[in-house]
Amino acid sequence: MSARETFSKWWRIAVLVLLVSVALYALFIPGGMFGSSDTGSVGDANETATDDSLHNLVFGLDLDGGARISAPATGMTVDDVTLDHGGTPEQAQQAGNDLESTLRESFQSEYDDFQAADVTVRYHQGDDSYTVEVFDDNVSAAAFAETLSAEGHDVSENDVEDRVTEETRESMVSVITSKLNQAGLSGGQAYTTETLGGEHYIVAEAPGYTAAELRALLEQRGSIEVRAYVPDGNGSQENITLLQQEDFDTIMSAEYDNEQNQYQVGVTLHDGPAAEFESQMNEIGFTSEGVGQCSLRQNAAGNYDFADSGDQWCLLTMSDGEVVSALGLEDRLATNMRSGEWKNDPRYNMVTGRGEGNEEAAQHANEISMNLQAGALDAPLDFGNAQVMSVQSSLGDQYKTDSLLIGIFAVFAVSGMVYVRYRDPRVALPMILTALSEVVILLGVAAAAEMAITLAHVAGFIAVVGTGVDDLVIIADEVMDEGSVTQARIFNNRFRKAFWTIGAAAATTIIAMSPLAVSSSLGDLQGFAIITILGVLIGVFVTRPAYGSILRKLLTSEE
Amino acid sequence: MASLEVPELAYEEYTNRQLAAVPLAILAVAVAVLGITFALTGTPLALGIEFTGGTELTIATTADQDEVAAAFEQEPTSIQPVEGQQQYIVRFAASDLEGFDEDGQAILQDLVDQADQNLEPAAGADGSSPVVGESLTSASFGQQIQFTALIGLVVAFIGMSAITFGLFRTFVPSVAVSLSAFSDLIIPLAFMSLFDIQLTLGTVAALLMLIGYSVDSDILLNNHVLRRSGSFYESVHRSMRTGITMTVTSTVAMLVMAIVAWFFGIGLLRDIGLILAVGLIADLMNTYLMNVSLLRWYKFEGVAR
Repeated sequence: MSARETFSKWWRIAVLVLLVSVALYALFIPGGMFGSSDTGSVGDANETATDDSLHNLVFGLDLDGGARISAPATGMTVDDVTLDHGGTPEQAQQAGNDLESTLRESFQSEYDDFQAADVTVRYHQGDDSYTVEVFDDNVSAAAFAETLSAEGHDVSENDVEDRVTEETRESMVSVITSKLNQAGLSGGQAYTTETLGGEHYIVAEAPGYTAAELRALLEQRGSIEVRAYVPDGNGSQENITLLQQEDFDTIMSAEYDNEQNQYQVGVTLHDGPAAEFESQMNEIGFTSEGVGQCSLRQNAAGNYDFADSGDQWCLLTMSDGEVVSALGLEDRLATNMRSGEWKNDPRYNMVTGRGEGNEEAAQHANEISMNLQAGALDAPLDFGNAQVMSVQSSLGDQYKTDSLLIGIFAVFAVSGMVYVRYRDPRVALPMILTALSEVVILLGVAAAAEMAITLAHVAGFIAVVGTGVDDLVIIADEVMDEGSVTQARIFNNRFRKAFWTIGAAAATTIIAMSPLAVSSSLGDLQGFAIITILGVLIGVFVTRPAYGSILRKLLTSEE
Repeated sequence: MASLEVPELAYEEYTNRQLAAVPLAILAVAVAVLGITFALTGTPLALGIEFTGGTELTIATTADQDEVAAAFEQEPTSIQPVEGQQQYIVRFAASDLEGFDEDGQAILQDLVDQADQNLEPAAGADGSSPVVGESLTSASFGQQIQFTALIGLVVAFIGMSAITFGLFRTFVPSVAVSLSAFSDLIIPLAFMSLFDIQLTLGTVAALLMLIGYSVDSDILLNNHVLRRSGSFYESVHRSMRTGITMTVTSTVAMLVMAIVAWFFGIGLLRDIGLILAVGLIADLMNTYLMNVSLLRWYKFEGVAR
């Protein structure tokens, strides 16, 4: 037999064996195909468990325990707002920032709870237009349109859309991701999905978390701002926003300062905002008559009392719209700012409370440090329209064992049927082995791609065994049609005929599953569809041809 | 020893009308079942909480079913014990929970707290809470999913029909495949409606899978009859031998999966297995009674016209 003949006879089987070996390697060799990906994430209980496991499969939340929340973002958007600006990108950006500040002031004068982060103006260089977004439920679409109109923009209530922009969603996803990383969750992730109806959801997944814990993490928007609470010149006090999230440059960890007897977070500001902050502080009298002039105190409930108490110069540190601390400016800082030197080294300590062992102050300091580092969620999540799922890891483990058993039972059932039907181990045994190798290859792909396996994937695996055996039955029946096959040529002819049916059946299955495979909004089912399609492809191109070759070897008599 | 031999149906003795009557009658009954349920309840079959909105708790507790029901202020919409485990799956529909639309998560937290207070956790649970799994879907989210799932099914069906038209390029045989696949979907849906199986994401997956599975035997049949030499009955019989083997094998696999998953309380896999098994049995009938009669008409009368 020539080399070429040998090749044509064996290559299909060789490909199958090769793929199964690669799959086994990806599944069982520690480190897997592309080296360990576990580096970098902060260790937790789950980590040690995966390190000890015998395989490289990654499991999804419902098999490993954890929580997932999908929710839309709350907000309204007005598109295509135009502004006059100098023409350079910097000037355009500045015009947007100015509009944002103006809108913020006018909203803040109307709504008490309006946070600095609740309005965003984004510039789009492509069409030289701006989008304006408002993220406060208390503001109605009509009020939004009115406020924009008051700034000289022709906007009606109908122009206000009940959605947030893609940029906002993307930024939220990255903030949630860094929050999850900060919380020390390996495998925590955030992404967006879109339903066919065009609704966008933001999805957060946290292994090892309960639904309540994950919600607490997401509910905290983490927006930090610093406001001045100063006399307005007419005998009462006013609030002026001085600093926001994006003004901060470096952020230290929360610490307890022995000398000053206080909990604090050391921060530095970016140059521009630092200069502005300094001149504003000088302007409103903080560094002159206002030094140390803050006597606001917390009441018994822990809230600050803003009742009439004479002229005050207080720096308010706000976290998610709540006043965390209200403090006067200390002498040293005031002197530095007055002389204009502070902006050259714009450090400052955000103080959250005094007294060692003040747990509330310590906690606030931690929160502020973490929130400043992770960033603030651009918009709050709408938990009223959420979908929540959580599974404890004990239940996940139970599901894992059970679905393995279900798979084994299904394979036994199929094997039993096949054997009863054919009574010929030469036909039945390779059939079962081939169907199993399809699953092994798929598992290998899942391990190599670090696809998180869920119950839906398990259903997909079982479906693959089902379709796989169907097609092998077609092949076996076709080639054994009308007695024994003794000649390779007849065999090949029949095998080709069988393949037409298999290809047609595979095409319909792929078509039927493809809407699910591309639509992420059905969550679980996407995994099912992807596994089924992959299985069909591997089946048609690798395992079923190989089964044909095996049968030919076993059934044809030529040697 | 008994061996599985595919029976030979004496097609010659029956007219096309007689052959098609049985599957068409069953299809009519199935449509009627769905229609009547729709008239009575507003939906053709019960929708799971993924579609209607609501919450589901998996509770591992030493308490019995009545105690679990009594642990909540709001009577659960359904409680399903998990075989062989001290576990219950407790469901609350959105419409039964007051204030759910405003803040479903708070309501869910209330329910979890009630379970924590009133139920003793079973040995298997981590920590002190008997609640080992929880899920929540808001009503609006559910509607979105419902819409997406429906579109998915329609697109899949149209795609499948287009492929079969492309493969056979003749009208009657392609329609026969589509009609049989349609009936394969409607009969399990009626079965679900009758036995009160809820439409969930799992069952939608099963229905999609069914579109893929059920046409296998139809394609096989059409292929043998239209593209091979040999008499009509010979071709039908040959394709039946293969087709029945593979459909029965898949049915058995799915039934086993359904039974084992039911025993372990894994609802998703149980539903998929059950729906596929029913659909595949319906497919046997549709393929070898309805499809065969249509093909026979096409072969002996339709072509001659």
